[in-house]
Amino acid sequence: MIRFHHVNKHYGQFHVLKDINLEIQSGEVVVIIGPSGSGKSTLLRCINRLETITDGELTVDGVSVGDRKTNINELRRDIGMVFQHFNLYPHMSVLKNITLAPIRVSKASPKEASETAMYYLQKVGIPDKADAYPSQLSGGQQQRVAIARGLAMKPKIMLFDEPTSALDPEMVGEVLDVMKSLAKEGMTMVVVTHEMGFAREVADRVIFMDHGQIVEEGDPATFFTQPKEERARQFLSRLNH
Amino acid sequence: MSDLLDISILIDYQDVYWKGFFITLKASVFALILSFILGVIIAVFRISTVKSLRWFGTAYVEYIRNIPLLILVFVFYNGLPSIGVNLDSFMAGGLGLGIYTSAFIAEAIRAGIQSVPKGHVEAARSSGLTYLQTMRFVVLPQAIKIVLPPLGNQFINLVKNSSIFGVIAGGDLMYQADIINSETFQTVSVYLFVALFYLLLTIPLSLFVNYLERRLARAY
Ligand SMILES: Nc1ncnc2c1ncn2[C@@H]1O[C@H](COP(=O)(O)OP(=O)(O)OP(=O)(O)O)[C@@H](O)[C@H]1O
Ligand SMILES: [Mg+2]
Repeated sequence: MIRFHHVNKHYGQFHVLKDINLEIQSGEVVVIIGPSGSGKSTLLRCINRLETITDGELTVDGVSVGDRKTNINELRRDIGMVFQHFNLYPHMSVLKNITLAPIRVSKASPKEASETAMYYLQKVGIPDKADAYPSQLSGGQQQRVAIARGLAMKPKIMLFDEPTSALDPEMVGEVLDVMKSLAKEGMTMVVVTHEMGFAREVADRVIFMDHGQIVEEGDPATFFTQPKEERARQFLSRLNH
Repeated sequence: MSDLLDISILIDYQDVYWKGFFITLKASVFALILSFILGVIIAVFRISTVKSLRWFGTAYVEYIRNIPLLILVFVFYNGLPSIGVNLDSFMAGGLGLGIYTSAFIAEAIRAGIQSVPKGHVEAARSSGLTYLQTMRFVVLPQAIKIVLPPLGNQFINLVKNSSIFGVIAGGDLMYQADIINSETFQTVSVYLFVALFYLLLTIPLSLFVNYLERRLARAY
């Protein structure tokens, strides 16, 4: 579904991603962890070309992301993204936030788009907030709207960049629950998070990054109990303090 | 003291005042439209990803807004004839004033657009919206709130700055006031009355901008 083949990325002189090789299958839930500045967000943002790669090959569903001939807007329909800071449009109601892309990108009728939006709002547990504005919602509710907004495009892949990091602790659970149910339904998910409980419970695979490299990867049970690499061991032991 | 404010001037010369008023109005509308169009274009240059356009936009803004308006108007009025382009005072003044104001408008628009968090643009683009759709549905509706107050100020400044037409025989309010003054020597009255005609333009403009601001503030 997603394939990195010898991918490198530089910001000017700075080598952010170093020879990334990674294959993510359809339906797989991959969690990316690692210290701050290790390149997790950059890796994630390359998948929908919010960042461009410098060299190597990156394909999504067989389509080359970097190719100039690729219609990036078409590719992006299939890739939902959820951000740390929600990024809801403050001047639009919740419903309008969710229906904007379906109407403008997928050319859904407003009625059809609203029905889809309500379906996903139901799913994330806040159908009663359809007419509210983002500023009237709690952080947890805003993030659930953002997830519903991503899902309303019926994507094949969902990307999450620290979706719970900006939330008050009591709201983390409600967002993780939505993500867990999504994972159970077979959505392909790539999640950057510091929530190790979530990784342990839901991930099919954990990727550990440091200094722009994938240092270690494996199934969560093995990774969390017997990490092979020294850097991963250090990172995990620091988390436990 | 009695002739400090001599109302008979206003009465005797009302036709002259009104003549100036309509020329000032016409010049302001012309310069306003020109400055807005140029301002939008330069603002787009300033936020463009193309380096040369950005450079041009910056050079334009910094050059234009840091020189006196009078110089710009003189270039169009006195300077261009030397290269064979003859503009009447209306065109020369209108171009000078429009170009001058466009630099300030470009800055107001650029600041408004850049006040919209980058994350909103990323959210929109990652959902498949094009650049133009993102501008239209996500960025501009938010930017307008930020842009409107400085834009209103610039338009009010523009109306006041149109008095520059007086220097190039533009027939505007200022020009007519100078004529009335040279005939009557009632300087204080003449100029206080002409100020009233400027207020006739600027106060409604200011009220209109306030009204729009209030409406937008209620929107979300
Ligand atoms: N636009 C940019 N220009 C230059 N350097 C950048 C840019 N964006 C990120 N970087 C650098 O690239 C490195 C990787 O950044 P990235 O955001 O991918 O890290 P991260 O693993 O997501 O960290 P965090 O956990 O703090 O979010 C960092 O050192 C960062 O400073
Ligand atoms: Mg990050």
